[in-house]
Amino acid sequence: METREPAPGRTPGPAEPRLETIVAALNSTWFGAGLPPGTQARLAAMGHIEHVPAGTVLLREGEIAEDFGLLLAGRVALRLLVPERGMVTILTVEPGDIIGWSAIVPPHRSTSTVVAIEPAEVLMLDGAELRAALRADHALAATLYPRVLQAVGRRLNATRLQLLDLFARDELARGEALRAW
Amino acid sequence: MVSPTTGGAGRAAGTGPEPGQARGSARFLARDELQRLIDLLHEDGRQVIGPTVADGAIVLDRIDSVADLPAGWGALQAPGRFTLVRRDDERLFEYNVGPMSWKRYTFPATAPLTTVRGSADEVTYEPAPREIPKLAFLGVRACEIAGILVQDRVLLGGPFIDEDYRDRRAAALIIAVQCTTAASTCFCSSMGTGPEVRGGHDLVLTELDDGFVVEPGSAAGRALLERLPTVPATADQVADVVGAVSAARLAMGTGVATVGLKDRLLAQLEHPRWAEVAERCLTCTNCTLVCPTCFCTSVVQRSELVGTASGSVRAWDSCFNPGFARVAGGNFRSRPRDRYRQWLTHKFATWVDQFGTFGCVGCGRCITWCPVGIDVREELAAIAPPIAPRITPPSPEPVAATPTEFASARVAATHPETADTTTLVLGETELPLLATKPGQFVMVTLPAFPRLPISVSRVRPDGIELTIRAAGPATKALTELKPGALLGIRGPLGVGWPVDRAVGRDVVIVTGGIGLAPLRPLIDTILADRERFGAVRIYYGARTRRDMLYTGELAAWAARPDVDLQLTVDRGDPEWLGRVGVVTHLFDQATWEGSKAVAFVCGPERMMQATVGALIDRGMHSDRIFLTLERHMECGIGLCGHCQMGRYFVCKDGPVFSLAQLGDSFGREGV
Repeated sequence: METREPAPGRTPGPAEPRLETIVAALNSTWFGAGLPPGTQARLAAMGHIEHVPAGTVLLREGEIAEDFGLLLAGRVALRLLVPERGMVTILTVEPGDIIGWSAIVPPHRSTSTVVAIEPAEVLMLDGAELRAALRADHALAATLYPRVLQAVGRRLNATRLQLLDLFARDELARGEALRAW
Repeated sequence: MVSPTTGGAGRAAGTGPEPGQARGSARFLARDELQRLIDLLHEDGRQVIGPTVADGAIVLDRIDSVADLPAGWGALQAPGRFTLVRRDDERLFEYNVGPMSWKRYTFPATAPLTTVRGSADEVTYEPAPREIPKLAFLGVRACEIAGILVQDRVLLGGPFIDEDYRDRRAAALIIAVQCTTAASTCFCSSMGTGPEVRGGHDLVLTELDDGFVVEPGSAAGRALLERLPTVPATADQVADVVGAVSAARLAMGTGVATVGLKDRLLAQLEHPRWAEVAERCLTCTNCTLVCPTCFCTSVVQRSELVGTASGSVRAWDSCFNPGFARVAGGNFRSRPRDRYRQWLTHKFATWVDQFGTFGCVGCGRCITWCPVGIDVREELAAIAPPIAPRITPPSPEPVAATPTEFASARVAATHPETADTTTLVLGETELPLLATKPGQFVMVTLPAFPRLPISVSRVRPDGIELTIRAAGPATKALTELKPGALLGIRGPLGVGWPVDRAVGRDVVIVTGGIGLAPLRPLIDTILADRERFGAVRIYYGARTRRDMLYTGELAAWAARPDVDLQLTVDRGDPEWLGRVGVVTHLFDQATWEGSKAVAFVCGPERMMQATVGALIDRGMHSDRIFLTLERHMECGIGLCGHCQMGRYFVCKDGPVFSLAQLGDSFGREGV
């Protein structure tokens, strides 16, 4: 966080919430719940909670992802810019899920623009600290990376289904479209 | 037997019918010749058991002549009441059933099993000697044959069998009598066991004023019939038989609503009515003793006074007896309410899981012979009432049931849903279409276009709705119909959503695109009876916000506090502030528990596969996940072969299936 300019409209979160508050926040997410208490405490030490209004751009496509975020409340959209179509929402992220996973996966550039479409509450983990901890502590890495892969894999799977564009074709099997064959 | 439903007359032997003579094997036995039947049975070495009047009731006993039969007697039956009445005719079988069932002869109240002899040197176990009399049962009613067949399934269905029962069954000839009257306690028609005799008999008689129409049901019965002094039954006599049995059917009340009963009943194990009925129940065991299917027994030991031998005897027991479920540490069913619930849920629910049929045949004995008049029909209706059809159907027969026949229906109104999807409201609909169950479909045709299967998307008091997406020329033509237009229609067809399976459970509905259409009647039904279900969660995905159907209703459902509606789209746009992503993301990280829930899923097959995976991850059971499949259908009634999939015809056996039914054929490539 400290290396980045605050985005327009962003209000700074309350200074240094208690570690217990952050551990409780971790436990409220499917990503963070069930992590070993030691791991939760380490993550809490590198985190802070931010409240952002609707419209806040949390991350821009192609920029370095400084923080690894866990959405605690609200809804954020992952958007890609398509020339002449503007910003296209590919996916919305709901509370419990992660944003900014690029912060711990090289080359650390965000794969989409992340915009809060509702007032949102995000637990931000400092990317530099987290990367250093993951490099130094293999047990931490072995605990955290499977969860990151699970979250990213879930999105990959969903994106494949969206790619199939199933609802555009769902009457094909009803009869006459197949009759010609 | 002579019945329009059995086609018994179609098994004619060779020659065509004479004028004025019925087709088939129906014969007429004059009343005066009935003694000849009894004599023939005696000649064959059989003892005849049949109805006779004793102790103020019609009981079963040895019959030596026609004079032993209850000529001119009838019976008034009501809950807790059996009264003999004198009739003004001399008919022999114009009543229904008395307190005794035939299990007294096939499965006696006591039967010796083993004799144990002991001495200082050894202990021996010898099977008790058994003497199996050759019997003929005279006057077995349709419900009673059904009771015998239920006991056959229990005691002979394997893997272990009751040898005593097997031998007694094999030694008994069954001469059935069709009921031409019905007591107030009778409900065989609702249990599907009568009043027509449909099998399991050797010979069947139907009584007319001057004699009996007789038909064989087995080779032994045919041989016996050939020895009887009969003449071919006339067409009038056969018609009289059909009319008399139909009259008995019509005389019965609504009985028990059996469709979905098992699930409805098992969902109500904590219903307060169990305690209420137990206040009346004396746990006297009468109902189980008179029941033709109850088979529970205990083994009692009888020792000789000298102490060197003891015999074990199997004796009827009853789940109402206080000691029935007792173990050393206590009693699993110590309260009468536990025992009543055990009995009723076994008869009407868990029996189905164990033996594939209900344990009740609708004879009504447990009602008549209950000293306090508890009526199982009333208890079932109070504890597990059927899900009320939103429209009461006048007839269950589909409109135009053959592939060649179409009825015509008129478009009363049209509602555009999306750019390519329209809902047609069909009025002037023939009445059976109003009986469409949620999830059923109709075959629709327009001149010069192929016929198409279309799910019914709403059943209204005055018609049905079809929601159609223009995906090809025929569907395009349908979506372009204007009010007043006529189209051809057949239906309702197929098996719909098993809404009863969801009574008392949480409901999860997952759908995408136009898949909401076949689910809308289900949602209508659930919301009309909302308190009978647990949490209701609806997850709906569409390509874009403009592809969502029924947007007004979606808003109304979303506003209800007792419905959790979640929407998502595959493609967002700047005006859509809802969720973007696949429908499984609406619940794959939810916190609700799926192990007790029932899911109904409709959408493109690939979407249903992803959904099923996510539902199973939530702990859902494959037996409680229901899908509706889409296949090429032309006839809609399992004759044309297009929709065959493994052992199913999707049109006839589906389109709704449980995931467990489909097994690993669901989602398999090229199936």
